[in-house]
Amino acid sequence: MSEGHGGAATLERARPAGVRRRLTRPQLVKWGVTTVLLLFVLLGLPQLMSLYYVDTMTQVAVYSMVAVGLGVLVGRVGLVSLGQVAVLAIGAWSAARLLFATTQPYPLILLEAGLITMVAGVAIGLPALRLRGLYLALITLMLAGGITVVLATVNFPNGGHGFLGYNGSLLHIPPIRRPSFAASDPAYYRFSVIIAILMFALVFAHIKTKPGRAWAAIRQSEPAALAAGINTTLYKLWAFALASFITGVAGGVLAGAIHYLYSIGFPTQDSITLLAVVLMGGVYSLWGAVVAALLYQFLPALLNNWGVSADWLIILFGIGVLQVLTTAPAGLADQVPRDLARLGRRLRRAAARGSRAEAP
Amino acid sequence: MRRHISMRRMILLAAALALGAAGCSSSSSSSSTTGTASTPASSSTGVASAGTVSTSSCGTKPGVAATGTPIPLGAIATNQPGTSFTDIPNMAKAYFDCVNANGGINGHPIKLYIATEQTNPAQIAADARQLVQTDKVVGIVGNTSIIECSIDSGYWQKLGFYIIDSGIAPECYSTPNSAAVNMGPRYSSDGAVQYALAQHVSKVVFDQANVPGTGYIAAGPAALAKAANTPIVQLTENVPITDANSVAIKEVNDAGPNGAVILNFTPPQALVILQAAQKLGLEGRVKLWGCSTPCNTDFLAQSLGSKWNSKLFVNAELTPPDGTNTPSMNLYKAILKQYGTSVQGGIGSFSQMGFTEAEIAVHALQSITGPYTVQSVNAAFKAVKDFNTGMLCQLWTYGDYPLHIPNNADYTVTANNGKMTTAQGCTPISAADPQIAQYRSAAGTAANAP
Amino acid sequence: MPPWAEFEPFIVSGLALGGVYALSGVGLVVLYRATGVLYLAFGAVGALGALIAWSLITKAGTPGWAGWLVCVAVAAAVTLGYGLLFGPALAKRDPLVKAVATIGLTLVLYGAMDLLWTTSGGQARSLTLPTDNGGFTVGTVQVTWTQVIALGAGVVLTVATAAFLRYSKLGTAMRAMANDREITATLGVPVRRVEAAAWLGCGVLAGVAGLLLADLVALDATTLTFLVISSLAAVLVARLRSIPLTFAAAIVVGLLHDLLTPIVALTNYRDMTPFVIAAIGLLVMSRHRVIAISREEA
Repeated sequence: MSEGHGGAATLERARPAGVRRRLTRPQLVKWGVTTVLLLFVLLGLPQLMSLYYVDTMTQVAVYSMVAVGLGVLVGRVGLVSLGQVAVLAIGAWSAARLLFATTQPYPLILLEAGLITMVAGVAIGLPALRLRGLYLALITLMLAGGITVVLATVNFPNGGHGFLGYNGSLLHIPPIRRPSFAASDPAYYRFSVIIAILMFALVFAHIKTKPGRAWAAIRQSEPAALAAGINTTLYKLWAFALASFITGVAGGVLAGAIHYLYSIGFPTQDSITLLAVVLMGGVYSLWGAVVAALLYQFLPALLNNWGVSADWLIILFGIGVLQVLTTAPAGLADQVPRDLARLGRRLRRAAARGSRAEAP
Repeated sequence: MRRHISMRRMILLAAALALGAAGCSSSSSSSSTTGTASTPASSSTGVASAGTVSTSSCGTKPGVAATGTPIPLGAIATNQPGTSFTDIPNMAKAYFDCVNANGGINGHPIKLYIATEQTNPAQIAADARQLVQTDKVVGIVGNTSIIECSIDSGYWQKLGFYIIDSGIAPECYSTPNSAAVNMGPRYSSDGAVQYALAQHVSKVVFDQANVPGTGYIAAGPAALAKAANTPIVQLTENVPITDANSVAIKEVNDAGPNGAVILNFTPPQALVILQAAQKLGLEGRVKLWGCSTPCNTDFLAQSLGSKWNSKLFVNAELTPPDGTNTPSMNLYKAILKQYGTSVQGGIGSFSQMGFTEAEIAVHALQSITGPYTVQSVNAAFKAVKDFNTGMLCQLWTYGDYPLHIPNNADYTVTANNGKMTTAQGCTPISAADPQIAQYRSAAGTAANAP
Repeated sequence: MPPWAEFEPFIVSGLALGGVYALSGVGLVVLYRATGVLYLAFGAVGALGALIAWSLITKAGTPGWAGWLVCVAVAAAVTLGYGLLFGPALAKRDPLVKAVATIGLTLVLYGAMDLLWTTSGGQARSLTLPTDNGGFTVGTVQVTWTQVIALGAGVVLTVATAAFLRYSKLGTAMRAMANDREITATLGVPVRRVEAAAWLGCGVLAGVAGLLLADLVALDATTLTFLVISSLAAVLVARLRSIPLTFAAAIVVGLLHDLLTPIVALTNYRDMTPFVIAAIGLLVMSRHRVIAISREEA
């Protein structure tokens, strides 16, 4: 338990091994609500929404995975990455190549895409970890820019032969296949939500165990964590690996969702917008990743439906970033419950005052 | 501290509101000057050539507003920073508004649902489903998107929609369920290369934007150059271009003094390359410069200036609006003026395409007796044969063929003292391009009608 | 491998491109040294000014010089406004946070520009300066005075601001404030005024650069706003500290980018040049120690 002691600044207090803490009432309620919500999202939503919104919510599921990966990096470890969309592109590329080249079952391909992306993320992360703060963010931006140029030249696989699997003169591009058990849009939506839940569970498991504590220590003060004996390089690499794996899996889900991949769909500036929405959603909570994905995919679809230009959204995200950084560092996911709680307290106080006034 | 925070919040809010107000108020004034030097779209002075034409000739019952159950149609157009094709469905809507004000389709007004997308395949597929399942459209008219044909062609085929569009992606021209009023990047580039080859250049350099479809587009010029025994160099550039100088130097070096440089880019990118060539003093260093249809705007001619006289030859898919005094062209200009307030670019190929697509749709719809369903409307679209749009070199036919390239003859225009003037009249695209040959053999005489 | 003669014109165009990168790169480093903020909205602010100037010149018929003045004034006003509004609040935060905040400003400006100057209908806008019409020939290509001015402006900026920041009282005060605002305030430096001067100067710089870049590169909101990403390469190689090194790195990036053009196997990848150079530069320099921006370094 020495590492638990090391990062003592913020976290859960160290408890003797073997003693299980019983869930408190508020935690039970929270788990219950979460389960009900997830069941509704899985089973109820597709019945209520038109196909337009089912397709949109599939995108929300995909990008919530990307957002949670970025949230782990930014919120838990304090590493800002301005290149997650490039990582997503790598994941989508790997999945597409495997889907065209092999007949393996879809979940296996997702795993493989995640692993390939993880290896790429670690390979890039290792030398970059000597940089800190702003430099690290900028180097991720540079790497993303480079990957984008490479992708623009080699393109995404479209059923062709060779390592790159791209045939430029096709008159008719074959669509990327979906799993046989999730071919229709609502079924694929459920499939993506389940994968997203699995990825969130993976992150949750990390947060509640040793890596989570080590990350918290590193975020608090890296020299102190080092002094306490935490292998900061290992844990930072672990965070990179986790984020890359999850984003790679998300890329695989994306490939099946949209059937056709183009390099213009993964521009460098999207990584910047992604960071903006993740900040707005909140980097410290898992719900923040869902909020970020809703901002990133659901809101544009809504505005598109209403005929409002997408430019308004870009302006909104810019204002959101400024607002979050100056007033609410924990983002909307933290702020809205706080504001609601404050509102609740005020109402209760007003009610109490009212009843006191009535009492003799 | 708290006051400080709330003041900043208020300022942010005020900034957002101010932007909103600015956006709303200046949207009308942000439209740039139009193609022709004389007539800005937003001014109310008369059209240069003929006198004011009554727009009521668009419908069958002048002045009678249509009040029956609407006929819903749909369109999907790309609208993202840097690339916006909304002018095309907006112009189609203007035409439909005119028809609705003048009798409609047997008394039924047409309602056009326009969905925009930002080159996001999921969004495009979702838009298509929205149009069909929520808006319940019975026909698709006016699609203009970088990748929509690729994404949705299977969907349209499954549902039996025969769409009328302004094509870009390969599937707009290679599937049975899409027929375009324009030639698209491949055949328009064919036209530009063909003109250069006819001037007996010794080498062709074909440079295009690196957007989806480059291989498909490049195959056309490659086939034409091979048939003419002329070497061709294929280049692509990532857009947006940040270093036009190196692009221009490379093109000129590769082409040589007796060669031709043919560009396939959107107008802003083509302008940047041509201006760089001019600043470097390279515009006279090759035999001629060519460009596919997107360059056919007076914006470009004005920005380039007189140094480019007789140097730049642009393929024009549609009849040049200047100097054409036909009823269709006058009607187009009149409808644009009266109903086309949301058409930003004014007179030009975008609005011409929108007009033509709407014209064809209305012509088809008017032939329907009985209810307007997906079956009846799309059967009518497919049955359009030898229709004179007044905007194209040829009569337009949909037909029941495995692929459609109904617009396969073009003009060539050239930049002359700030305007685009005709350099060559209607010329069919060479059948050296295998797709053209395939279409012509499938369509028979319909493909070659003048 | 193409013959040497084929590379010649690319040396000229490479220097011109290097001038473009130098203008943005040096501007960014100067701003960072003076305010402690990596002003990623540099390109967007310049683009806004250039587009407003374009509108005035082509629609309202204002004379060229008046339009350019408005361009610089708008850029200065927006930058000053941002600095005064958000500078103090973020002064104590990490340089990373301050840089990300400028991303917020970039997004707001970018969205607004695309709304107000749409690209539907195929408009192609361009801004030309009178210095485009003259020039001289080097080898087989022409060089315009505008390109010379851009390169020259980069040099002048490098020398002048390096000297200003080091030797003048105001410059020293700016550097001190960028390092630690509170301590500087306790030393009796009029913090708000120095801050305002720094942001104003930065805004003027962004406006002038925006005008030149709109002429040299393209008058397009997307291109100009995200040009900063490629310009960051030179900035990163110089580790946000040395202005002369930024200038030199920018020239190298531009030259290398264009010299790759005639090499057929690499030409499609040449847009990677700034990113590869930045990555190599940073990783080489960090191989023996950890690189971080601490307060002392700024």
